[in-house]
Amino acid sequence: MSVLLLQLAGPLQSWGATSRFARRSTEAAPTKSGVIGLLAAALGRERTEDISDLAALRFGVRVDQPGTLLRDFHTAHHFVTGEAAPVSERFYVADAVFVAGVEGEDALVETLRQALAAPVFLPYLGRRSCPPSRPIFLNIEKNAGLIEALQREPWHAARWHQRRRRDERSVELELLIEAEAEDGPVDSLRDQPVSFDPLNRRYRLRGVHRPPRASVINPAARPVHDPFTALGSA
Amino acid sequence: MFLTRFRFNTARLGARRLLSSPQRLHAAIMFAFAEPPSLDGGSARILWRIDRNSRAETYLYISSPDKPDLTHLVEEAGWPETGRWQTLDYEPLLSRLTKGDTWAFRLTANPVHSIRRTAEEPTKVTAHVGRQHQMNWLLQRQEKAGFVVLEKPAERHLHHELDQYELVVHDRRQLDFTKAGQRKPVTLVTVTYDGRLQVTDPDALRQALTRGLGRAKAYGCGLMTLAET
Repeated sequence: MSVLLLQLAGPLQSWGATSRFARRSTEAAPTKSGVIGLLAAALGRERTEDISDLAALRFGVRVDQPGTLLRDFHTAHHFVTGEAAPVSERFYVADAVFVAGVEGEDALVETLRQALAAPVFLPYLGRRSCPPSRPIFLNIEKNAGLIEALQREPWHAARWHQRRRRDERSVELELLIEAEAEDGPVDSLRDQPVSFDPLNRRYRLRGVHRPPRASVINPAARPVHDPFTALGSA
Repeated sequence: MFLTRFRFNTARLGARRLLSSPQRLHAAIMFAFAEPPSLDGGSARILWRIDRNSRAETYLYISSPDKPDLTHLVEEAGWPETGRWQTLDYEPLLSRLTKGDTWAFRLTANPVHSIRRTAEEPTKVTAHVGRQHQMNWLLQRQEKAGFVVLEKPAERHLHHELDQYELVVHDRRQLDFTKAGQRKPVTLVTVTYDGRLQVTDPDALRQALTRGLGRAKAYGCGLMTLAET
Protein backbone atom coordinates (compact mmCIF):
# COMPACT_ATOMS: atom_id res chain seq x y z
CA MET A 1 0.00 0.00 0.00
CA SER A 2 1.23 3.51 -0.68
CA VAL A 3 -0.25 6.97 -0.30
CA LEU A 4 -0.62 9.53 -3.07
CA LEU A 5 -0.54 13.06 -1.70
CA LEU A 6 -2.24 15.85 -3.62
CA GLN A 7 -2.19 19.57 -3.09
CA LEU A 8 -5.46 21.36 -3.71
CA ALA A 9 -4.84 25.09 -3.80
CA GLY A 10 -6.59 27.77 -5.78
CA PRO A 11 -8.32 31.12 -5.56
CA LEU A 12 -11.68 29.34 -5.57
CA GLN A 13 -12.68 25.78 -4.79
CA SER A 14 -16.10 24.27 -4.44
CA TRP A 15 -16.79 20.83 -3.04
CA GLY A 16 -20.48 20.06 -3.07
CA ALA A 17 -21.89 17.02 -1.34
CA THR A 18 -25.55 17.75 -0.66
CA SER A 19 -26.63 20.41 -3.16
CA ARG A 20 -29.81 20.16 -5.15
CA PHE A 21 -31.39 22.65 -7.57
CA ALA A 22 -30.42 26.31 -7.52
CA ARG A 23 -28.55 26.51 -4.23
CA ARG A 24 -25.11 24.97 -4.76
CA SER A 25 -23.32 24.78 -1.43
CA THR A 26 -19.78 23.66 -0.68
CA GLU A 27 -18.24 21.61 2.08
CA ALA A 28 -15.39 23.21 4.01
CA ALA A 29 -12.93 20.60 2.73
CA PRO A 30 -12.57 18.55 -0.47
CA THR A 31 -15.00 15.67 -0.86
CA LYS A 32 -14.01 12.18 -1.81
CA SER A 33 -16.26 12.25 -4.88
CA GLY A 34 -14.61 15.47 -6.04
CA VAL A 35 -11.08 14.14 -5.73
CA ILE A 36 -11.92 10.69 -7.17
CA GLY A 37 -13.60 12.49 -10.08
CA LEU A 38 -10.45 14.56 -10.59
CA LEU A 39 -8.31 11.40 -10.67
CA ALA A 40 -10.71 9.62 -13.02
CA ALA A 41 -10.64 12.65 -15.31
CA ALA A 42 -6.83 12.64 -15.28
CA LEU A 43 -6.92 8.96 -16.30
CA GLY A 44 -9.28 9.86 -19.13
CA ARG A 45 -12.26 7.84 -17.95
CA GLU A 46 -15.64 8.73 -19.39
CA ARG A 47 -18.46 9.56 -16.98
CA THR A 48 -20.18 6.28 -17.68
CA GLU A 49 -17.15 4.08 -17.04
CA ASP A 50 -16.67 1.95 -13.96
CA ILE A 51 -14.88 3.72 -11.10
CA SER A 52 -15.08 1.04 -8.44
CA ASP A 53 -11.26 0.68 -8.29
CA LEU A 54 -10.83 4.41 -7.57
CA ALA A 55 -13.78 4.54 -5.18
CA ALA A 56 -12.12 1.79 -3.13
CA LEU A 57 -9.13 4.03 -2.34
CA ARG A 58 -9.06 5.28 1.24
CA PHE A 59 -9.34 9.04 1.32
CA GLY A 60 -8.15 11.71 3.77
CA VAL A 61 -7.73 15.48 3.81
CA ARG A 62 -5.63 17.89 5.81
CA VAL A 63 -6.78 21.50 6.08
CA ASP A 64 -3.60 23.54 5.57
CA GLN A 65 -5.30 26.89 5.07
CA PRO A 66 -9.06 26.96 5.73
CA GLY A 67 -9.90 29.87 3.46
CA THR A 68 -13.15 31.79 3.60
CA LEU A 69 -16.64 31.07 2.34
CA LEU A 70 -17.65 33.06 -0.73
CA ARG A 71 -21.24 33.38 -1.96
CA ASP A 72 -21.90 34.13 -5.60
CA PHE A 73 -25.31 35.27 -6.86
CA HIS A 74 -24.98 33.61 -10.24
CA THR A 75 -26.85 35.19 -13.18
CA ALA A 76 -25.43 33.52 -16.27
CA HIS A 77 -26.62 33.98 -19.82
CA HIS A 78 -26.15 31.73 -22.79
CA PHE A 79 -23.07 32.79 -24.70
CA VAL A 80 -24.70 32.75 -28.13
CA THR A 81 -28.44 33.21 -27.64
CA GLY A 82 -28.24 35.52 -24.63
CA GLU A 83 -30.97 33.50 -22.97
CA ALA A 84 -30.87 33.68 -19.16
CA ALA A 85 -29.89 30.55 -17.25
CA PRO A 86 -31.72 29.88 -14.00
CA VAL A 87 -30.56 32.20 -11.26
CA SER A 88 -28.53 30.20 -8.78
CA GLU A 89 -26.64 30.80 -5.61
CA ARG A 90 -23.17 29.25 -5.61
CA PHE A 91 -20.80 28.91 -2.74
CA TYR A 92 -17.03 28.67 -2.93
CA VAL A 93 -14.13 28.29 -0.54
CA ALA A 94 -11.78 31.14 -1.35
CA ASP A 95 -8.01 31.18 -0.73
CA ALA A 96 -7.83 27.71 0.73
CA VAL A 97 -5.10 25.08 0.61
CA PHE A 98 -5.71 21.39 1.31
CA VAL A 99 -3.51 18.33 1.23
CA ALA A 100 -5.50 15.29 0.17
CA GLY A 101 -4.25 11.71 0.35
CA VAL A 102 -5.49 8.51 -1.25
CA GLU A 103 -4.19 5.18 -0.04
CA GLY A 104 -4.17 2.14 -2.30
CA GLU A 105 -2.16 -0.52 -4.10
CA ASP A 106 1.31 0.59 -5.25
CA ALA A 107 0.57 -0.05 -8.94
CA LEU A 108 -2.65 1.97 -8.95
CA VAL A 109 -1.05 4.86 -7.09
CA GLU A 110 1.81 4.90 -9.58
CA THR A 111 -0.67 4.96 -12.49
CA LEU A 112 -2.44 7.90 -10.87
CA ARG A 113 0.84 9.79 -10.50
CA GLN A 114 1.54 9.35 -14.19
CA ALA A 115 -2.00 10.38 -15.06
CA LEU A 116 -1.62 13.60 -13.04
CA ALA A 117 1.62 14.36 -14.88
CA ALA A 118 -0.23 14.19 -18.21
CA PRO A 119 -3.96 14.41 -17.50
CA VAL A 120 -6.41 13.52 -20.30
CA PHE A 121 -9.15 15.83 -18.99
CA LEU A 122 -7.94 18.87 -17.09
CA PRO A 123 -8.15 18.72 -13.30
CA TYR A 124 -10.20 21.33 -11.44
CA LEU A 125 -11.08 21.98 -7.84
CA GLY A 126 -14.64 20.73 -7.53
CA ARG A 127 -16.13 22.91 -10.23
CA ARG A 128 -15.01 23.51 -13.80
CA SER A 129 -14.51 27.24 -13.16
CA CYS A 130 -12.00 26.60 -10.32
CA PRO A 131 -8.54 25.88 -11.74
CA PRO A 132 -5.74 24.84 -9.38
CA SER A 133 -3.03 27.43 -8.78
CA ARG A 134 -0.28 24.93 -7.96
CA PRO A 135 0.71 21.51 -9.27
CA ILE A 136 -1.70 18.94 -7.87
CA PHE A 137 0.76 16.09 -7.39
CA LEU A 138 2.81 16.41 -4.22
CA ASN A 139 4.40 13.16 -3.24
CA ILE A 140 4.07 9.39 -2.93
CA GLU A 141 4.61 7.91 0.53
CA LYS A 142 5.56 4.25 0.24
CA ASN A 143 6.14 3.27 3.84
CA ALA A 144 3.44 5.12 5.70
CA GLY A 145 -0.25 4.86 6.38
CA LEU A 146 -2.67 7.56 5.26
CA ILE A 147 -2.83 9.41 8.57
CA GLU A 148 0.93 9.22 9.10
CA ALA A 149 1.63 10.50 5.58
CA LEU A 150 -0.70 13.46 6.10
CA GLN A 151 0.91 14.21 9.45
CA ARG A 152 4.44 14.12 8.04
CA GLU A 153 3.87 16.39 5.06
CA PRO A 154 5.24 19.94 5.56
CA TRP A 155 2.85 22.85 5.82
CA HIS A 156 1.67 24.06 2.39
CA ALA A 157 -0.23 27.18 3.39
CA ALA A 158 0.61 30.36 1.49
CA ARG A 159 3.49 32.40 2.85
CA TRP A 160 1.18 35.26 3.88
CA HIS A 161 -0.95 32.80 5.84
CA GLN A 162 2.10 31.34 7.57
CA ARG A 163 3.32 34.82 8.48
CA ARG A 164 -0.06 35.64 9.94
CA ARG A 165 0.57 32.88 12.47
CA ARG A 166 4.22 33.73 13.00
CA ASP A 167 3.88 33.74 16.77
CA GLU A 168 3.25 29.98 16.65
CA ARG A 169 6.30 27.82 16.08
CA SER A 170 4.17 24.80 15.23
CA VAL A 171 0.64 24.78 13.94
CA GLU A 172 -2.12 22.21 14.38
CA LEU A 173 -4.04 21.22 11.28
CA GLU A 174 -7.37 19.42 11.15
CA LEU A 175 -7.50 15.96 9.58
CA LEU A 176 -10.61 14.45 7.98
CA ILE A 177 -10.04 10.76 7.33
CA GLU A 178 -12.29 8.12 5.85
CA ALA A 179 -13.55 6.15 8.82
CA GLU A 180 -12.89 2.49 9.40
CA ALA A 181 -14.96 0.13 11.52
CA GLU A 182 -12.83 0.57 14.66
CA ASP A 183 -13.22 4.36 14.67
CA GLY A 184 -16.66 3.99 16.27
CA PRO A 185 -19.42 6.52 15.70
CA VAL A 186 -18.37 9.24 13.25
CA ASP A 187 -19.85 11.96 11.03
CA SER A 188 -21.10 10.92 7.67
CA LEU A 189 -21.12 12.60 4.29
CA ARG A 190 -22.80 11.45 1.09
CA ASP A 191 -19.71 11.64 -1.12
CA GLN A 192 -18.69 8.02 -1.69
CA PRO A 193 -19.03 7.83 -5.49
CA VAL A 194 -20.81 4.84 -6.97
CA SER A 195 -21.37 6.15 -10.48
CA PHE A 196 -20.67 9.46 -12.22
CA ASP A 197 -23.04 8.55 -15.10
CA PRO A 198 -24.93 11.81 -15.83
CA LEU A 199 -28.18 9.87 -16.16
CA ASN A 200 -27.70 7.96 -12.95
CA ARG A 201 -25.33 9.71 -10.55
CA ARG A 202 -25.14 7.90 -7.25
CA TYR A 203 -23.24 8.48 -4.03
CA ARG A 204 -23.22 6.45 -0.84
CA LEU A 205 -22.69 7.63 2.69
CA ARG A 206 -19.11 7.71 3.91
CA GLY A 207 -17.94 7.98 7.50
CA VAL A 208 -15.59 10.90 8.26
CA HIS A 209 -13.30 10.43 11.22
CA ARG A 210 -11.37 13.30 12.84
CA PRO A 211 -8.18 11.95 14.43
CA PRO A 212 -6.02 14.21 16.63
CA ARG A 213 -4.78 17.20 14.70
CA ALA A 214 -1.52 17.06 12.78
CA SER A 215 1.24 19.27 14.12
CA VAL A 216 3.50 20.89 11.54
CA ILE A 217 6.45 23.28 11.78
CA ASN A 218 5.72 26.87 10.87
CA PRO A 219 8.64 27.94 8.66
CA ALA A 220 7.62 31.60 9.00
CA ALA A 221 7.65 31.57 12.81
CA ARG A 222 9.35 34.55 14.41
CA PRO A 223 12.44 33.42 16.28
CA VAL A 224 12.27 34.05 20.00
CA HIS A 225 15.45 34.90 21.82
CA ASP A 226 15.84 35.79 25.47
CA PRO A 227 19.50 36.05 26.51
CA PHE A 228 18.52 36.48 30.15
CA THR A 229 17.44 32.85 30.39
CA ALA A 230 21.07 31.81 30.03
CA LEU A 231 22.18 34.18 32.78
CA GLY A 232 20.16 32.36 35.40
CA SER A 233 17.64 34.93 36.61
CA ALA A 234 15.62 37.77 35.21
CA MET B 1 31.19 42.07 32.17
CA PHE B 2 27.53 42.92 32.46
CA LEU B 3 24.53 42.34 30.24
CA THR B 4 21.76 44.92 30.44
CA ARG B 5 18.25 44.97 29.10
CA PHE B 6 16.14 48.07 28.73
CA ARG B 7 12.66 48.20 27.26
CA PHE B 8 11.65 51.16 25.13
CA ASN B 9 8.27 52.78 25.56
CA THR B 10 7.71 53.15 21.84
CA ALA B 11 4.73 55.44 22.37
CA ARG B 12 7.07 58.18 23.55
CA LEU B 13 8.56 60.74 21.25
CA GLY B 14 11.92 60.37 22.93
CA ALA B 15 12.01 56.67 22.17
CA ARG B 16 11.18 57.24 18.54
CA ARG B 17 13.85 59.92 18.28
CA LEU B 18 16.47 57.57 19.67
CA LEU B 19 15.34 54.54 17.66
CA SER B 20 15.40 56.50 14.45
CA SER B 21 19.03 57.48 14.79
CA PRO B 22 21.76 55.00 15.70
CA GLN B 23 24.01 58.02 16.12
CA ARG B 24 21.92 59.50 18.93
CA LEU B 25 21.32 56.14 20.54
CA HIS B 26 25.03 55.42 20.53
CA ALA B 27 25.68 58.73 22.27
CA ALA B 28 22.96 58.03 24.84
CA ILE B 29 24.47 54.63 25.59
CA MET B 30 27.96 56.06 25.97
CA PHE B 31 26.59 58.57 28.50
CA ALA B 32 25.34 55.66 30.61
CA PHE B 33 28.89 55.31 31.93
CA ALA B 34 30.29 57.89 34.32
CA GLU B 35 33.82 56.78 33.55
CA PRO B 36 34.41 57.19 29.84
CA PRO B 37 34.87 53.71 28.36
CA SER B 38 38.42 52.91 27.27
CA LEU B 39 38.82 52.68 23.56
CA ASP B 40 41.95 50.55 23.24
CA GLY B 41 41.35 47.83 20.70
CA GLY B 42 42.36 44.76 22.67
CA SER B 43 39.85 44.66 25.52
CA ALA B 44 36.12 44.21 25.90
CA ARG B 45 33.99 47.07 24.71
CA ILE B 46 30.49 48.41 24.92
CA LEU B 47 28.22 46.62 22.47
CA TRP B 48 24.51 47.10 21.98
CA ARG B 49 21.63 45.85 19.94
CA ILE B 50 17.95 46.59 19.42
CA ASP B 51 15.60 43.59 19.47
CA ARG B 52 12.25 44.39 17.90
CA ASN B 53 10.18 41.43 19.03
CA SER B 54 6.96 43.21 18.17
CA ARG B 55 5.80 46.77 17.85
CA ALA B 56 5.17 47.14 21.55
CA GLU B 57 8.15 45.08 22.62
CA THR B 58 11.42 46.73 21.72
CA TYR B 59 14.45 45.95 23.84
CA LEU B 60 17.89 47.44 24.03
CA TYR B 61 20.62 45.00 25.05
CA ILE B 62 23.98 46.33 26.17
CA SER B 63 27.04 44.31 27.04
CA SER B 64 29.67 46.35 28.82
CA PRO B 65 32.69 45.99 31.13
CA ASP B 66 31.10 48.36 33.69
CA LYS B 67 27.58 48.64 35.06
CA PRO B 68 25.58 51.17 33.07
CA ASP B 69 23.24 53.77 34.55
CA LEU B 70 20.31 54.19 32.19
CA THR B 71 18.33 56.69 34.25
CA HIS B 72 18.44 59.22 31.44
CA LEU B 73 17.09 56.66 28.96
CA VAL B 74 14.27 55.69 31.31
CA GLU B 75 13.33 59.34 31.71
CA GLU B 76 13.41 60.03 28.02
CA ALA B 77 12.22 56.82 26.44
CA GLY B 78 11.03 54.37 29.09
CA TRP B 79 8.53 54.13 31.94
CA PRO B 80 9.91 56.36 34.74
CA GLU B 81 7.29 55.19 37.26
CA THR B 82 7.14 51.47 36.65
CA GLY B 83 9.90 50.39 34.30
CA ARG B 84 13.61 50.34 34.85
CA TRP B 85 16.43 48.35 33.36
CA GLN B 86 17.93 45.04 34.40
CA THR B 87 21.64 44.41 34.62
CA LEU B 88 22.95 40.91 35.18
CA ASP B 89 26.47 39.69 35.72
CA TYR B 90 27.76 38.23 32.45
CA GLU B 91 30.83 36.52 33.94
CA PRO B 92 29.15 33.30 35.16
CA LEU B 93 27.94 32.56 31.65
CA LEU B 94 31.24 33.52 30.03
CA SER B 95 33.23 31.27 32.35
CA ARG B 96 30.73 28.44 31.91
CA LEU B 97 31.24 28.13 28.15
CA THR B 98 32.74 24.75 27.31
CA LYS B 99 33.63 23.05 24.10
CA GLY B 100 30.77 21.07 22.61
CA ASP B 101 27.94 23.03 24.25
CA THR B 102 25.06 24.08 22.03
CA TRP B 103 23.33 27.42 22.38
CA ALA B 104 20.75 29.44 20.56
CA PHE B 105 22.19 32.75 19.45
CA ARG B 106 21.16 36.05 18.01
CA LEU B 107 23.45 38.53 16.32
CA THR B 108 22.73 41.77 14.54
CA ALA B 109 25.61 42.57 12.24
CA ASN B 110 26.76 44.61 9.29
CA PRO B 111 27.92 42.04 6.72
CA VAL B 112 30.26 43.68 4.21
CA HIS B 113 33.07 42.81 1.88
CA SER B 114 35.65 44.88 0.02
CA ILE B 115 35.36 44.80 -3.73
CA ARG B 116 36.30 46.74 -6.81
CA ARG B 117 34.41 46.79 -10.08
CA THR B 118 37.45 47.30 -12.31
CA ALA B 119 41.12 46.51 -11.81
CA GLU B 120 42.09 50.23 -11.62
CA GLU B 121 39.57 51.15 -8.97
CA PRO B 122 40.50 51.09 -5.29
CA THR B 123 38.51 48.55 -3.26
CA LYS B 124 35.42 49.79 -1.49
CA VAL B 125 33.57 48.41 1.48
CA THR B 126 30.24 47.18 0.16
CA ALA B 127 27.30 45.61 1.94
CA HIS B 128 26.23 42.05 1.29
CA VAL B 129 22.67 42.24 0.11
CA GLY B 130 21.73 38.67 -0.82
CA ARG B 131 20.58 36.18 1.78
CA GLN B 132 23.14 33.60 0.72
CA HIS B 133 26.04 36.08 0.89
CA GLN B 134 24.88 37.34 4.27
CA MET B 135 24.81 33.77 5.57
CA ASN B 136 28.25 33.05 4.15
CA TRP B 137 29.59 36.17 5.84
CA LEU B 138 28.78 34.63 9.23
CA LEU B 139 29.84 31.12 8.24
CA GLN B 140 33.26 32.46 7.20
CA ARG B 141 33.73 34.09 10.58
CA GLN B 142 32.48 31.30 12.78
CA GLU B 143 35.76 29.40 13.09
CA LYS B 144 37.73 32.42 14.26
CA ALA B 145 34.93 33.31 16.66
CA GLY B 146 35.06 29.88 18.25
CA PHE B 147 31.79 28.29 17.19
CA VAL B 148 30.10 26.42 14.36
CA VAL B 149 26.53 26.95 13.26
CA LEU B 150 24.74 23.61 13.56
CA GLU B 151 23.62 21.88 10.40
CA LYS B 152 20.06 20.79 9.88
CA PRO B 153 19.21 17.18 9.12
CA ALA B 154 18.65 16.80 5.37
CA GLU B 155 14.94 15.97 5.66
CA ARG B 156 14.21 19.33 7.30
CA HIS B 157 15.73 21.43 4.50
CA LEU B 158 13.14 23.70 2.95
CA HIS B 159 15.59 24.83 0.27
CA HIS B 160 18.77 23.07 -0.82
CA GLU B 161 21.11 26.07 -0.42
CA LEU B 162 19.44 28.53 1.88
CA ASP B 163 18.30 26.08 4.52
CA GLN B 164 21.29 23.85 5.25
CA TYR B 165 22.02 25.36 8.65
CA GLU B 166 20.09 26.09 11.81
CA LEU B 167 20.25 29.72 10.86
CA VAL B 168 17.79 32.34 9.69
CA VAL B 169 18.70 35.77 8.42
CA HIS B 170 15.95 38.28 8.92
CA ASP B 171 15.14 41.89 9.65
CA ARG B 172 17.31 43.44 6.98
CA ARG B 173 17.50 47.17 7.47
CA GLN B 174 19.14 49.91 5.54
CA LEU B 175 20.14 52.72 7.86
CA ASP B 176 20.72 56.21 6.50
CA PHE B 177 21.58 59.04 8.84
CA THR B 178 23.82 62.06 8.96
CA LYS B 179 26.44 62.66 11.57
CA ALA B 180 26.61 66.12 13.06
CA GLY B 181 29.28 68.17 11.32
CA GLN B 182 29.52 65.82 8.36
CA ARG B 183 27.79 66.28 5.05
CA LYS B 184 28.04 62.75 3.76
CA PRO B 185 25.41 60.49 5.27
CA VAL B 186 26.28 57.20 6.91
CA THR B 187 24.66 54.24 5.16
CA LEU B 188 24.63 50.76 6.61
CA VAL B 189 22.92 47.49 5.91
CA THR B 190 22.23 45.48 9.04
CA VAL B 191 20.73 42.01 9.34
CA THR B 192 19.82 39.83 12.28
CA TYR B 193 20.99 36.24 12.49
CA ASP B 194 19.10 33.75 14.61
CA GLY B 195 20.28 30.20 14.96
CA ARG B 196 21.94 27.46 16.97
CA LEU B 197 25.63 27.05 17.44
CA GLN B 198 28.11 24.66 18.97
CA VAL B 199 31.10 25.94 20.90
CA THR B 200 34.44 24.86 19.42
CA ASP B 201 36.82 27.26 21.15
CA PRO B 202 35.49 28.80 24.39
CA ASP B 203 38.20 31.47 24.60
CA ALA B 204 37.62 32.67 21.07
CA LEU B 205 33.85 32.71 21.62
CA ARG B 206 34.27 34.67 24.86
CA GLN B 207 36.26 37.27 22.92
CA ALA B 208 33.67 37.38 20.16
CA LEU B 209 30.90 37.90 22.73
CA THR B 210 32.67 40.73 24.55
CA ARG B 211 34.43 42.44 21.64
CA GLY B 212 31.81 41.99 18.96
CA LEU B 213 31.69 40.64 15.46
CA GLY B 214 32.10 42.63 12.30
CA ARG B 215 31.84 46.35 11.67
CA ALA B 216 29.62 49.23 12.77
CA LYS B 217 29.74 48.30 16.44
CA ALA B 218 28.92 51.86 17.43
CA TYR B 219 25.66 51.60 15.49
CA GLY B 220 24.14 48.57 17.14
CA CYS B 221 25.99 45.83 15.29
CA GLY B 222 28.21 43.03 16.48
CA LEU B 223 26.60 42.06 19.80
CA MET B 224 25.95 38.33 19.88
CA THR B 225 23.92 36.90 22.74
CA LEU B 226 23.32 33.30 23.74
CA ALA B 227 20.19 31.69 25.09
CA GLU B 228 19.21 28.23 26.24
CA THR B 229 18.10 26.14 23.27
